[in-house]
This record gives sequence, C-alpha cells and structure tokens, in this order.
Amino acid sequence: MNEDKRRKYWRILRLVAIGLCLLTFTPLVIPQGVHQPELLGVPYSLWTSFLITVALVFLTFLGTKVHRTEEEEEVEL
Amino acid sequence: MKFWIIVFGLAYAGLLVFASLKSYKKGRSVEDFMLAGSNVGIILGVLTYAAALFSTFTFLGMPDFFRRHGIGAWIFLAVSDGAMVFFILWFGYHIRTKVKKMGFKGVAGMLSNCYGNKWAGYTIFLTAFLFLIPYVGIQIQGIAIFMGAAFPDFIPSWGWAVGIVAVMLIYSEIGGFKAIVYSDAIQGLLLLTVLWIIGYNCLSEFGGIKAMFDRVEIDNVALLSTPGPEGLFSAQFFIASMIAIIMIPVTQPQLTTRLVVMKSMKSMHLMAVAVGAFAILVITPTIFIGMYGASFLKDTVGDLPLAQQANAFFEETFLYRQPNFVGALALVGLIAAGLSTTNAQIFALGSELRGLLNMEEKKVMRITKIGIFVFAIISLIFSEMIKDQIALLARVSFAGTALMGPMILLGILSDRKLSDMIIWASFAALVVFLLSLGGIIPGHYFGLRLDLILFATLSAIAGISYLQGKK
Repeated sequence: MNEDKRRKYWRILRLVAIGLCLLTFTPLVIPQGVHQPELLGVPYSLWTSFLITVALVFLTFLGTKVHRTEEEEEVEL
Repeated sequence: MKFWIIVFGLAYAGLLVFASLKSYKKGRSVEDFMLAGSNVGIILGVLTYAAALFSTFTFLGMPDFFRRHGIGAWIFLAVSDGAMVFFILWFGYHIRTKVKKMGFKGVAGMLSNCYGNKWAGYTIFLTAFLFLIPYVGIQIQGIAIFMGAAFPDFIPSWGWAVGIVAVMLIYSEIGGFKAIVYSDAIQGLLLLTVLWIIGYNCLSEFGGIKAMFDRVEIDNVALLSTPGPEGLFSAQFFIASMIAIIMIPVTQPQLTTRLVVMKSMKSMHLMAVAVGAFAILVITPTIFIGMYGASFLKDTVGDLPLAQQANAFFEETFLYRQPNFVGALALVGLIAAGLSTTNAQIFALGSELRGLLNMEEKKVMRITKIGIFVFAIISLIFSEMIKDQIALLARVSFAGTALMGPMILLGILSDRKLSDMIIWASFAALVVFLLSLGGIIPGHYFGLRLDLILFATLSAIAGISYLQGKK
C-alpha cells in the first residue's frame, strides 16, 4: 500500500473512532432512564456501548495495518 | 479455605522467586535494571501493560461500580479503554520516535529536555507522586484487609501491609523491571481466570444473562440505564473519565514506560489491539459479579454503611459464597493484582526520579533504589490513612495525572522552541485541582466539572504555545 493511501485510511479510521466516542455521549447510546430495546435480554445502553467497544478495538486492529512503522524499524529500541 | 490459600500462596511466591532469579543479572546497567533492556516482546508486553492497567481497581472497584451504579460502568471503563488503545497507535508512534532521538530516562527527564526547563520535569514528577501514592496506598490497604479477613487474629492489618511492601521491594531489587514484567504476566493471567470463574458462578446463580437482567429489573431498575440509581453516570462524567483514561499512557509513567520498552513499533501496535481485547474479556465478568451483588446481596450488603459496603461485597462474593479453592484463588489473585500494580507504580516513580538526576551512573542507581524504598514506605503510611472508595480514588488519580497531558503531548509532538507558559499553567492547574479535592474551592463551575475546565484550558494554552513557538 502506498504512503498516500495509508494516510487516507488512517485519517478515515481516526474520524470513525472519534465519531464513535462522541456518539457514546449522546442520547442515542445513553438515553436517560431507558433500558429498552433489549438485545438478547441485555439492556439498551449496555449492548450499544459493548458494540462500540468492540468496534474501537477492531479499528485499532485496522489502524495497525495502515499506521506508520517504517521509521521505527530502522532502529532497534 | 486456609489450606488452599497456603497452597496457592506458596505457588505464587515460588513463581515470584523464579521470576526474580531469572531476571537477575550480575553487573547489569541502569538501563537493564530500570527498562529491561527495552526488549519486551508481544505476549509479555500485553500482560505487563494489562496488569499495570487492570489492578485491584478492576478486582474490587468495577464489580462494586456495577453493583452500585449499574451498567453505565461499562462505558466508564470499557469504552474508554477502547478509545485508549486506539490512541496508543498514534501516541506510541510519536513517543518512540522522540525516544529514538533523545533517549529515555522517564517522562519527567524527557520533558525537562524537550522544554529545556527542569521545572517541566519537577511538575510531572510532583503530579505523579501526589496521585500515584494514594492509589498505591489503597491497594496495599485492600490486600491487608482481606488477608485479615482470611486469617483473623493472626497479625494486625498493618502487619500484612508491611509484609506486602517487603515482598515487593525484595523481588524488584533482585530482578528489576524484568521481574516486574514477569510478575505482571502471572497477575494478568490470574486476574482473568479468577474473574471468569467467579463471574460464571454468579451468572449461574441467575440462570443466564436474560434471567440476570430480568431479576435486576425487579430489584432495582435504575441499574439498567444511565445515570444509575445515584445519578453518577452523566454524559459529563463519561466525557471527563474518557479524557482521563485516554491520557493514561501519556501521563501515568508506569504505562508510558511500557510503550517505550516494547521491542519494536510493530510489537507495540499488536500489544495495543491485544490490550483492547483483554479489556473486554476482563471487564465482562465484573458485570455478572456486580449484578449478583445488586440482587442477591441487596439486603446483606446494601443495608451496611456505605464505607463498609465495598469490602463486605468482596468478602461475600469472592470468598464466602465460593468453593474454598476458588475463594483462596481469588485472595491470591487480589494479592497478585495489588502487588504488581503497586510495584509498577513505585518503580515508575523511581524511574521518574532517575530522569531528574544528572550524575554518574552508579550514584544514579543507588539514589533511585533509595527513592523506590522511600516511596514504598510513604505508600505504606498512606495505606493506613485511607479505607474506601477505591473506584472513585482511581478516577481521581487518572484525572489528576491527566492534567499533565497537554504539557507532555506538546513537548513530545513539537519540534519547535517552546515557551514556558504551559509549564507554569500546568503547575497552577495542579494546585487548583488539589484545592478542589481538599474541598477549599468548588469542584463545579457554570455546571461544568473543574477537571474538564482545567483540561480544556491547558489544551488551549498548549495550542497557543505551539503557534507561538519558534521553528
């Protein structure tokens, strides 16, 4: 993958990650005093935030594919 | 249970001795002793980072947070940890690039060099000292209380606390940072195993996940949504907590060090992903344990004075209501969690002290070791002064150190000649935050939390400093 593409993908990943974090603080994830609709019996805010956590870890994994490493590899720390 | 405590305790002690001896190297350099030669691989890296991050706080604090405040506890820690591991990719790259140019003798020493001003280092060291010591103290206290519960009338609780600190000092003196990394690995695996065994047992009592939440709905429906029964989990609380937790790798020196000592950038990247997965795995069973407490111990624990609830909850759930060998394993797991986090933090303070010293290597090593001893003793004294509120104390510790985030980030990211403005502003913010913790000034202004206001102000000052900096 060339450098421009890497940078572009990294920028997209960053935006998605920031978007997910901001989404967590809105009534879309934390409606006050509401626990419906449930998913497999799990209250609403818990299953939505669980999915957001999994998504953030997955974005981190994708990030390892596109984030810069070359400069580091030249020198063993 | 005593039989099993002795069996597991001896096995754990044996592993610690083995780790210390395996790490011992005659004639080692300060670099070897303090940073394990900066050559930590992926598996050890994940476990040591996770163990330094998930401490007694995860063991005691998180189940109690779920029990008292409900499912919002997941957002407080797990979502924030997810954001933190993503942030590690970016921050880890920049700090390792800087270390490559400047070397690494702790964050305080590095920042003194970045700003060309020793006060940057002193401010960071002071903050780490002020906010890590109470956190370390409460972990020592936590272990001492539960050892006292397991062996009543054997020795007083301060005796256990002294014993814990002595063990910690001996094995870190023999094995250095490498021994701490090995002990972290043992603790990380133990923590995960114990939490899942107890979490599974608690879930089985309900008969499944759906049955669990159905029962909690009857007992206390407010636990199933935010802000929770006591109104703690507001959006503002979550935002402030997330900022504090994202800043952990930047501002908690024991974790910054763990990013720096990874063998390569690639290992550090994979470590970040694995720590994220570890966070999900380790926090999930604390939901089951917390919900168990909210339902099955509603009266037994809920009727006690607030200050006694957390300990009573732990004793009931982890010790008395488990098969003997599980209770014993939980107790040893708690000791391991407390020991490794305590050790990581005390050792990090030593490492920060080392970065501020400018003298011959042998002398630096001696002063650093004396420093580690003194920090351990101060933590021990502090542990006798504080007794409860572990989760909130952990949050205060994260929030306090997070105030240094803008100064550290600016120093690491910028290649400009920077003014001293951010150093003095960070120092002032530290004083203001301490005044609010002491109840001398209010903790909220215009409906906003003071830690959020301070962090936003420091971030703005860091931005201005950067724009004014000379290329």
